[in-house]
Amino acid sequence: MLANLRQSIADWIFRARFPEAAPVTLVQRRIFILPSKEGYVFALVLLVLLVASINYALSLGFLLTFLLAAMGSVAMLHTWRNLAHLKLRPGRCESVFAGDIAQFAVLVESPVRERYAVAFRRRDEDPVFADIAEREVATVPIPVKSTRRGRLKCGRVEIYTRYPVGLFHAWSYFDFGQTAIVYPRPDPSAGPPPMQSQSESGEGVPIPGEDDFHHLRDYRAGDPLRHVAWKALARGDQLLTKEFHATASGELWLDWNDARAADPEARLAFLAHWVIECERIGQRYGLRLPGSAIPPGRGEDHRARCLEALALHGEGPAP
Amino acid sequence: MSRAMPNAALDAKGVMWLLGAMLFVVAPHLLRMPEWVAGFFLVMVAWRGWVAWRAQRFPTRWIVLALTLGAAAGTFLQYGRLFGRDAGTTLLVLMAALKLVEMKTSREVLLAIHLGFVLVMTNFLYSQTIPMGVYMLACVWLFVATLVGYQRSPGRAPGVAGRLVPAGKLLAQALPLMLVLFILFPRVAGPLWALPQDARAGLSGLSDTMTPGNISKLIQSEATAFRVEFEGEIPPYQRLYFRGPVLWAFDGRSWRMSEFSPAAALEYPKAERPVKYAVTVEPHGKHWLFALDVPGTLPPGVSARHDLQLRSVRPVDARLRYEMTSYLDYRFGEKLPAGFREFALRFNTWQNPRTIALGRQWAAENPDPRRVIGRALQHFNSQFTYTLEPPLLESEHPYDEFLFDKKRGFCEHYAGSFALLMRAAGIPSRVVTGYQGGEINPLNRELIVRQADAHAWVEVWIEREGWVRIDPTSAVSPDRIDNGINAALGPIGVIPSIIAADRFGILSNLRFAWDALNSQWNQWVLGYNTDRQRQFLARLGIDAVDWMNLAIWLAAISFAVAGIVSLALVIRDLPKREAPAVRAWRRFGEKLAKAGLARAPHEGPLDYLARVRAARPDLGEQAEAITQRYVRARYGEGISPPEAQELARLVRDFRPA
Repeated sequence: MLANLRQSIADWIFRARFPEAAPVTLVQRRIFILPSKEGYVFALVLLVLLVASINYALSLGFLLTFLLAAMGSVAMLHTWRNLAHLKLRPGRCESVFAGDIAQFAVLVESPVRERYAVAFRRRDEDPVFADIAEREVATVPIPVKSTRRGRLKCGRVEIYTRYPVGLFHAWSYFDFGQTAIVYPRPDPSAGPPPMQSQSESGEGVPIPGEDDFHHLRDYRAGDPLRHVAWKALARGDQLLTKEFHATASGELWLDWNDARAADPEARLAFLAHWVIECERIGQRYGLRLPGSAIPPGRGEDHRARCLEALALHGEGPAP
Repeated sequence: MSRAMPNAALDAKGVMWLLGAMLFVVAPHLLRMPEWVAGFFLVMVAWRGWVAWRAQRFPTRWIVLALTLGAAAGTFLQYGRLFGRDAGTTLLVLMAALKLVEMKTSREVLLAIHLGFVLVMTNFLYSQTIPMGVYMLACVWLFVATLVGYQRSPGRAPGVAGRLVPAGKLLAQALPLMLVLFILFPRVAGPLWALPQDARAGLSGLSDTMTPGNISKLIQSEATAFRVEFEGEIPPYQRLYFRGPVLWAFDGRSWRMSEFSPAAALEYPKAERPVKYAVTVEPHGKHWLFALDVPGTLPPGVSARHDLQLRSVRPVDARLRYEMTSYLDYRFGEKLPAGFREFALRFNTWQNPRTIALGRQWAAENPDPRRVIGRALQHFNSQFTYTLEPPLLESEHPYDEFLFDKKRGFCEHYAGSFALLMRAAGIPSRVVTGYQGGEINPLNRELIVRQADAHAWVEVWIEREGWVRIDPTSAVSPDRIDNGINAALGPIGVIPSIIAADRFGILSNLRFAWDALNSQWNQWVLGYNTDRQRQFLARLGIDAVDWMNLAIWLAAISFAVAGIVSLALVIRDLPKREAPAVRAWRRFGEKLAKAGLARAPHEGPLDYLARVRAARPDLGEQAEAITQRYVRARYGEGISPPEAQELARLVRDFRPA
């Protein structure tokens, strides 16, 4: 209930402001503070202690009650101070495949004092805790589960703390409008990349055959099952994958039209799988989508460019 | 989920801290509770420690339930009830132990810590001394430290300092506000509901009955009965008779207070040597108060009975301070109504026949009361011994046994038998119990009256003189009255024995200092009640009688103090003031930026200077002077304040545009 109330207040206050430019400093007016549920329980205990002190005329009981009450109010300030003046900047976010968890990095700097147990939380999700040393920049990865390809927004993040005694909840919000690219999840049922594209330039590179077998390496998630060294496994070795030596004798065009799948999303998943396969075996490849094409190439950057094109296919330009 | 493995959130170190804090806070209870309670508690704590340390399974819900019922049943069997001070505290201690055993979530940890605070409070039901206060403060510190440990990022439990230092800071910063609340929070007189019967158990002091043997037991106690601050001179030692219960009714063995006792007007035919003083009496659970001889003015809420015994409206359940005046030279009770006279002469004739016969014989030989009193005192003086360990008087005629066989006794023996002798001789008499003497603390000129100073004496009524105090003990042992109980009998108890052995008086001075401290503690901390609050606040110009007024003061001062503490903390966080040289250099850059020569973020001062020189040769000299000083201040040996001022002036006069 309390959390909902906080959210509605935040929605109302920050309606016009987000997303905002970095860096954000948590100045006084950005930080809210209310007693936590534990704080209300503590207040109840204080009341019990007070009544007992009055009833039994216990002077030390009064001292105890007032010491704890004063400690509570000082704690409010400490909780607030644990957030105040923190400087936040957006960090990078690695692209992920749909269904994976994207980690949105937030750089947090504490100009004064060490901060403990500063939590970052997206709505209805588990918090990430960070300790921030004085004058140091901590990188806090905020996990966001991706569901579909395209651009993934981090959205508004609540930064909060209850340190040192958990009786108060101090919080603020930030939203840098960070986005991550979510690639389509590769679909291994696409099979190997097509040997012969209908493309004019493709002279056809045979996909590596048995005779191209080069060596064994450890199995990695995503390796096609047909490349698994089953015999080696049967001998009792670990799960190994047969690595094939790429001939790299030509260029392969991965074409939208070759991905024969029911709907566009499935096609993109096929293409993504092929991109990864080609990259893995060292095949030079190009990507042709309706309305765009990426000339053949190889390497991390090329792979990322192709996957990004697949991720953003049909999406509007970056906001 | 009763068989769940320990929660990862409940890290073992944190649990150990909590167990340690609990042991600390419960230790004083365990010492005074039955052994099985201590055993139960320690076993539970050890069990929980084992579960946390070795990541063992928690006990099942059924085991916990069985233990809970067992603990409640045990408490009931021990005390015959579940409430009241002793039973309630025992139950709380047992339940805390069970809470520890089944505690799995951080929410339950918090609950256990709250329980710890309540247990601190229960300790105050038994003792509110300075050492107990300090000890409990340490306990609170431990609990807050435990709490702080649990608020850290999961999996990053802090070390000892990481818990104790923040907790200590919190408590230290809370002290000013605590003090304000303590002073200004309105005190209500009296309990909100009836106290359990045993809330004040274990109070020592005089009773409303005097039987041979009961005062001599009392005087082995070193406990303080009350403290007296005199305004002006302290009266001579042998005049320090503090009257307490006045005993009229005699049943052959015991002297009792009479139920019927109308109030009296405090009018004396003679009242001289007034003494003003304030008494701070320790709680004794009874209505009577103690005062020197005859009271002049009475504190509010106190009345005087016709035999000048002072009675408080409420039983003295808490330490009570009252101010009053007494007269040391006085005459009172010259007219004795027939009813009272008859009462003051009453005794049964079938007990103590030899004592009665002796009294009658003296009266027959010379009926002058003064003569009879003199003979009685002489009788005691010649043959009797004053002793703290009188032989038991077991016969049906205790005073006969004392006067004619044993002849060894304590003040109650002398007072009791003397009063009976007087009655037999036809002289109205009554026994007065109270305290005589005391110890003057040279540090604060305060008289400390201990239970060891308990005393009993007699008042006899003489025609035209009224009630006159006769202390038969002084006939036997004048030292008792002149120099106190330790002088008369040698040191009684452990502490006086040690002090007597200390030739240089160091221990005795330490004891006085400690007592002076305790006295302040009693008056200002423990005795800070409605009246004291009003007096104290009136001195500060705050009217505490009006609740609304007090509430406004409370709110205002609390906010002010909280504000000061907050400000002190927040100011430390504000961005540091720029050093003068840095500020001057920044202004220099701003001025040049306006002239189209902004410094690039990566550009060092000397590179910048070179660029400025190239672009604006006219400014070169000034820019160089400024840059050189800045470089020296920042990266070199530093510059003196006059040089910094010179730099500031150079920048002020620098006009590139």
